[in-house]
Amino acid sequence: MSTHTSVTGPRFGPLGIYAITYLAFVYIPVMFLPMFSFNDSVFIAFPLKGFTLEWYRALATSDGLIDALYNSVKIAAVVAVLATALGTLAAKAVTRYKIPGRGPVITFIMTPLVIPGIIMGIALLVIVNMLGIEMSVYTIGLGHLLVSTPFSMLIMVSRLEGFDKNLEEASQDLGEGAWRTFWRVTFPLSVPGIIASLLLSFTISFDEFILAFFLGGQDITLPVYIWGQLRFPAKLPVILALGACILAVSFVLVTFAEWFRRRGVQIKTSSGV
Amino acid sequence: MSDEQFISIQNVSKHFGDVHAVDRVSIDIARGEFFSLLGPSGCGKTTLLRMLAGFEFPTAGEIFIDGQAMSTVAPNHRPVNMVFQSYAIFPHLNVSQNIGYSLRKDKLSKADFNSRVGEMLDLIKLSGYEDRASHELSGGERQRVALARALIRRPKVLLLDEPLGALDKQLREQMQLELRSLQRAVGITFVFVTHDQEEALTMSDRIAVMSKGRYLQIDTPTKLYEAPQNREVADFIGTMNFFDASVQDVGDGQASIDAGPLGKLSVSPGNLAFSSGQAALAAIRPEKISISSEKPSGGHVVEGTMDAAAYLGDRSHFYVRVPGVDKPVAVSAQNIDQTHLHGDGNQGQVWLSWSNDAVVLLNKD
Repeated sequence: MSTHTSVTGPRFGPLGIYAITYLAFVYIPVMFLPMFSFNDSVFIAFPLKGFTLEWYRALATSDGLIDALYNSVKIAAVVAVLATALGTLAAKAVTRYKIPGRGPVITFIMTPLVIPGIIMGIALLVIVNMLGIEMSVYTIGLGHLLVSTPFSMLIMVSRLEGFDKNLEEASQDLGEGAWRTFWRVTFPLSVPGIIASLLLSFTISFDEFILAFFLGGQDITLPVYIWGQLRFPAKLPVILALGACILAVSFVLVTFAEWFRRRGVQIKTSSGV
Repeated sequence: MSDEQFISIQNVSKHFGDVHAVDRVSIDIARGEFFSLLGPSGCGKTTLLRMLAGFEFPTAGEIFIDGQAMSTVAPNHRPVNMVFQSYAIFPHLNVSQNIGYSLRKDKLSKADFNSRVGEMLDLIKLSGYEDRASHELSGGERQRVALARALIRRPKVLLLDEPLGALDKQLREQMQLELRSLQRAVGITFVFVTHDQEEALTMSDRIAVMSKGRYLQIDTPTKLYEAPQNREVADFIGTMNFFDASVQDVGDGQASIDAGPLGKLSVSPGNLAFSSGQAALAAIRPEKISISSEKPSGGHVVEGTMDAAAYLGDRSHFYVRVPGVDKPVAVSAQNIDQTHLHGDGNQGQVWLSWSNDAVVLLNKD
């Protein structure tokens, strides 16, 4: 009971102070973004000058930015779907079938996780050049698919290992073939993992800078655009406004993902005997 | 195919690498029979059941169900259904969706679907549970739902993989009786896998006792217990006292043996073959030996000293040292009027007696 009181008892004990310091360290820098995005000055400095929506207006009318945002969302959406599909199939293969060379295959798929982005970027750049492929959103997408699929597979492997294999056998026993069994049992039970994988691979692609920078050619994604704009100090508040928007969208996505994860936990605990 | 060979397992082997999980097993199971595969874990009983279900395919041999060869038939096309050890209730579906899972292809109307599921719920006495989520069910209810789900299409064979293992003792005993009467009611052939001998004896028409990928004996529960064919079966089913003996003379349905400390006995060799002069084992069940503190008159009698006694309420177990016998002789007696044997002085002399037909003669190995 004594450990219990040290958490709930004195409101600002050492642990309480630690917790508040930690949260401040994580969130105060982030909070500067929305704060200065409403500040009526091109200089990012205190004291605040006054409230304005000017930067948001500039944001909405900046053509280069809208194009970059569109490219990013397009790539991220397609990558999320493809990476999740590939990750799910790979996870199904390694968790359900006795395939020869299972260990090496998994290592091979997982390797992109530990290769530094810059090395991967150079390697892909060399290959794309060698093959004479024109660089565009497609080459960026392929690069992003390569780095997102292992994450998706990791999520899906843990999801598929989380439920009783007998459920799939029971479905076959009750007259359904492999395909129907997947749709009636495996897929519904994997939905929380699939949602998590979609969100994660979307975020990975949306955030990614190095591959997009190397493989984009004339096509520019949002991170590459932002990086380019940092050269012009007068544009910085517009970037802050953009940052604030992304922050808001991320917050909604994370909340949604967490809600789904909890639903997944419920299904998992209820499947126990 | 005759009804006696409704399921015919012919010389079936299953190897996993170097492990011979099932080794050249041939078993015929009759239509409508309650057949159990009994053995310790790793004896191959579950592998054999999974080959009947189609989740594993034999390395060699062939399985016929109702005259049809199964070697190329996938699990979803076999006329069998299975109750899994874990029950495998679909967690994302409710009770009626679980029970009616296999009805999709029939494209039933909502009302027909409900009435089919309703019939099964009546059968397992869970009417009114249609909309329950699977996590709201107790262990016994999950077991019944799994049973209903497997029976709804009236399979030719129902396979049960230790379905009572997860239940507590009282519920297990109740479900044993219910399963047995359900099987009689639906008339479907049951193949039941268990490591619990009491469960197998209670429910089965016939039992195959398995060990190391082979079966040791296939018989009715009574025959297995009363007339085991070898030492392993005698040891696995219940408790058995073994005494070294030598066969002296084999006559017409009778064999004279010299059972050393127990003296000379005249016993029935059953359907085993013995020859004169051969070393054998005389086996007697603990409950077929009478124990008393005074020497009984007549019959085969041997004197011993009490080694240990355990009082179990309805009966007692005694372990008696008999000169010339290595292990103490196990004796089980109903506690009708023997309480005096538990008194202070029970390190004393006791007398054991038995009749000739209590003795089972077995080969030495």
